[in-house]
Amino acid sequence: MASSVRLYLTCIRNTLEAAMCLQNFPCQEVERHNKPEVEMKTSPELLLNSVVICRNEAEKCLIETSINSLRISLKVKQADELENILTKKFLRFLSMRAEAFQVLRRKPVQGYDISFLITNYHCEEMQKHKLIDFIVQFMEDIDKEISELKLSMNTRGRLVATEFLKQFI
Amino acid sequence: MACFERASPALKQILLQLYHSDKPSAVEHHLHEFGSLQYHIQSYVSEARHVYLSISTPILSTGSSTLHGFPRYTIETVKGICHEVVQIVEPAKTGYQLTLKLDFSKIPRKKDAVKVITEISSVQAVILSSQLRELLTNVNAEEISQGAYKPIKLVYHPNEPFYVVKQPAKLTAVFPIRFKEDSDIVIAKAFFQELVDVGNSGVCARAPPCYWSPIPPPELRGESMKDLSTNAGFVSFEISARHIEGKKLDKTVWSLLNFNALVKYHVKCTKGFVQRRMRSRLESLVEALQQTGIEEDHNTAKVKGHRGMKKLIKVTKGAMKMKRWNLTKKIRRIRSRLRIHGFKRFQRCWLKLPSFSTVMSYQKIEKS
Repeated sequence: MASSVRLYLTCIRNTLEAAMCLQNFPCQEVERHNKPEVEMKTSPELLLNSVVICRNEAEKCLIETSINSLRISLKVKQADELENILTKKFLRFLSMRAEAFQVLRRKPVQGYDISFLITNYHCEEMQKHKLIDFIVQFMEDIDKEISELKLSMNTRGRLVATEFLKQFI
Repeated sequence: MACFERASPALKQILLQLYHSDKPSAVEHHLHEFGSLQYHIQSYVSEARHVYLSISTPILSTGSSTLHGFPRYTIETVKGICHEVVQIVEPAKTGYQLTLKLDFSKIPRKKDAVKVITEISSVQAVILSSQLRELLTNVNAEEISQGAYKPIKLVYHPNEPFYVVKQPAKLTAVFPIRFKEDSDIVIAKAFFQELVDVGNSGVCARAPPCYWSPIPPPELRGESMKDLSTNAGFVSFEISARHIEGKKLDKTVWSLLNFNALVKYHVKCTKGFVQRRMRSRLESLVEALQQTGIEEDHNTAKVKGHRGMKKLIKVTKGAMKMKRWNLTKKIRRIRSRLRIHGFKRFQRCWLKLPSFSTVMSYQKIEKS
């Protein structure tokens, strides 16, 4: 792994570790309601300052924290047209199956490719450090998968092109 | 428009069934392939070993004019397919361009039969190829000598025309490529890039040079804007004399005819491949998330008590029963009433608790 990626991921990991101290907090506006404050934003005193971690302009991470929930939004690098299409396809594919992930948001935050929403209930059900590991692993896997897909597509294209041109020989 | 296999698999299967059937039967089949290609297969009880095959196929159009019926050289080529077995019926069945009478009795038995029937099943490929082959081989000497290399627009499918430009030393085939979806365009462009790279590399040095450009090549100057408006650019192949000599001609013609279909098939397969990869990756990611769940703390389960304590607890079943019986006896004894002579009197005199007035109750004092 390149050192810049390692630094980027370590920074995200540390920020998440600091931010993921969530507690149960009922809604202040509506009785008997318990909603993620990071989404509702009903009371400003319950929101913490959001953090943007940038590797470059095309690759960044937004971490928004509140008393009972945490929202992580990722922007994945897209170097060329093919990577752009593959990233869009893959992330849309995952978002469509958000129910399988529990913490994945169906729609990403504007300006980002994919978003996660972690509530205090998720932290109670899952182990915090493993949840952070999962987010970091997810980021690594997405990059790796896009690169592998691109490589595989080019290899397939090359094979097909060779077979086609061989017919003329 | 065309299938990568020359022989139509469905037609081949039906003809083989008819060939292998022992009893003469009246059979009629209608086949539709690629939207515009139609086959009609008919056999009668009265004509035991004869089958009538009618075909209707889109034929080559040069853009300005569409030909009606097959040209003479196409008919000659069709006649060339197993001339002993195949016979052209005239006039053709209504609604079809060509009707062939197949005499199965003249097909040699066993292995050759499959080969002959495969050849008959590829009649549509023969018709398509013959037209383009004729066009490529008959170079108009006058046109070339005048230096007017006018592109010939070939339309096998209304949405997929391509151009052939005849020049003295070479022949250029230009394919305008169009796609509906953006993702298809990107995948196709990646494929064209690979095609150009492979064509220029030493792997296929003898293959025709291949070019891709997002704008129309200069050979197509003067063509209508409608035909030249594409979203995936133009692919050109420069075919020289060595690519169309002898047996190579058939292969070259078939490859050119199938190029559009090949690109579309590649795009479709690549999308399928991407989908499969994504599905497998999804499973691994979900598995990773499931591992984050809180598990039982095994450390507490493994904690062992003091050895002496364990010894105390370790007793036999009989001893346990005995202990339990003794305890029950004791309890009974405690609960049973003790009869001590004069105890009641003693209790009344000495153990009686004095009655106090509580906060809740009070004693009324009577007036004297």
